[in-house]
Amino acid sequence: MLEVRGLSACYGKHRALDGVGLSVARGEIVVILGANGAGKTTLLKAIVGLVPPIRGARVTLDGSDLVGLPSHAIVEAGIALVPEGRGIFAELTVRENLLLGAYAARARLKEASNLQRVLGLFPRLEERFRQVVRTMSGGEQQMVAIGRALMSAPEILLLDEPSLGLSPLLCRELFQVLAGIRGNGIGILLVEQNAKQSLNIADRGLLIETGRIVGQGSAAELKDDPAVRRAYFGAAAPGADGATGSRG
Amino acid sequence: MLPGLILGGMYALVAMGLTLQYGVARIMNLSYGEFLVAAALATFFLYTGLGVSPLLGLLIAVPAAYVLNWAIYQLLLVPLVRRAKNRDMLEVDSILATFGMLFVVQGLAHVLVGGQYYSYSYLSIPLSILGSTVALNRLIALLFAALIGLALYFALTRTRAGMAIRAVAVDPVSAGLVAIDVRRASAFAFALGGALVAAAGVLVSVFLTLNASMGVVFTTKALIVVIMGGVGNLLGALLAGLVLGLAETAVARLIDPGLTLAANFALFLIVLLWRPTGLFGGAAR
Repeated sequence: MLEVRGLSACYGKHRALDGVGLSVARGEIVVILGANGAGKTTLLKAIVGLVPPIRGARVTLDGSDLVGLPSHAIVEAGIALVPEGRGIFAELTVRENLLLGAYAARARLKEASNLQRVLGLFPRLEERFRQVVRTMSGGEQQMVAIGRALMSAPEILLLDEPSLGLSPLLCRELFQVLAGIRGNGIGILLVEQNAKQSLNIADRGLLIETGRIVGQGSAAELKDDPAVRRAYFGAAAPGADGATGSRG
Repeated sequence: MLPGLILGGMYALVAMGLTLQYGVARIMNLSYGEFLVAAALATFFLYTGLGVSPLLGLLIAVPAAYVLNWAIYQLLLVPLVRRAKNRDMLEVDSILATFGMLFVVQGLAHVLVGGQYYSYSYLSIPLSILGSTVALNRLIALLFAALIGLALYFALTRTRAGMAIRAVAVDPVSAGLVAIDVRRASAFAFALGGALVAAAGVLVSVFLTLNASMGVVFTTKALIVVIMGGVGNLLGALLAGLVLGLAETAVARLIDPGLTLAANFALFLIVLLWRPTGLFGGAAR
């Protein structure tokens, strides 16, 4: 279980995150919804140590503290991030990207079986195994990014807008794959703009606004919440002011 | 052809270490050539003073340079890495710091051995191969350069540690996200680069006459090769080194030996105009 308490972060004087708390259990998908600039990306970056949190934050995985660890140690602890813009090694091949995913000591013993599982999840990657990633389509690159994160045998997988730039068809496939990953007992924390589809597969959701969690609830509750529908489902959306959600 | 190949092989070997230091650790090491000269002078004294053959000298100079460069990284460069907000800032800081180091190393060399030229004779037996006459020592140097280059290439492309090094060169933030300890990988790459330049120093000492203030020549040549080949790209450095060596020799033979430097920079400019990131440079620099 990933637990975050009182997580704040600043860029200069701008407070990007303000006392965020959340938890993600294994085998559960939690989606974070929010407008651009609400702090979603910063939240994920702060969890994996790419942005230093302000003192007093607690980030724990199964009770062990992660605050202050460098990002390579956090991957080693069992949290993998698929960053915004994918962050794959564009000059290297699919094979090299996936094998690098298993660089963590925790993943090396299971490298062969994890590779089989990832290639089972994304058969396209097996066809393109020796291809340089830069030459592949956006959807295929996203597969490489998710596959690489899975190669580190994570307990919790963080994804930053994985559906960005994908066609509607690929989007649907992607969300199905994420549901399948949850089925393997991995916890998923998903940041998304695509509220409808992400709430369809999620167990719970959180609403974030100017760095604060302003509402949360089960995916079913959020889907029916009129404020959420207005703010995120594309119907006439006059800003996210009313998005309170049902507390619980 | 063969003399050009030998010169090119030396250029490639000299450049490979710099491409590791700059491409992976993002340290623009201006004192790079000084370490080559230091290794070459050490080989001279080992050979003339103690009778240690240069090839045996490799076994001493290379590990010693590795340890020395690792220590330099940890003591002098890690503070710069810590305070740099991004890699561009580190690059600028490292230029200033290593520019200072250049004078320290050069000054020490001057104090220890003075300003005179040194050379020694080792296996300088003329051989005639493919229509050109070459000294055996140059051929041996080329052979060792090729072996070292190949070994390094396979280590970087076929092993897990090598893949991690290349991943850091391509994208250090993402490297952290796959559990690579970027600082440790950078220290390793810097030290390995130092070991390579020491190897190059030992090998050129068998046929070049050197003095303590010639390091800059090697630094500039290495820089040209590294940029031409694409920063951080070993294969690029190899190819660019060979092309440069062959072009210089051809110009010296066919036109005028005085024009080698001009040819050198002309080729450099043409490559950069054609491909600003170098022959093998990626789109994302």
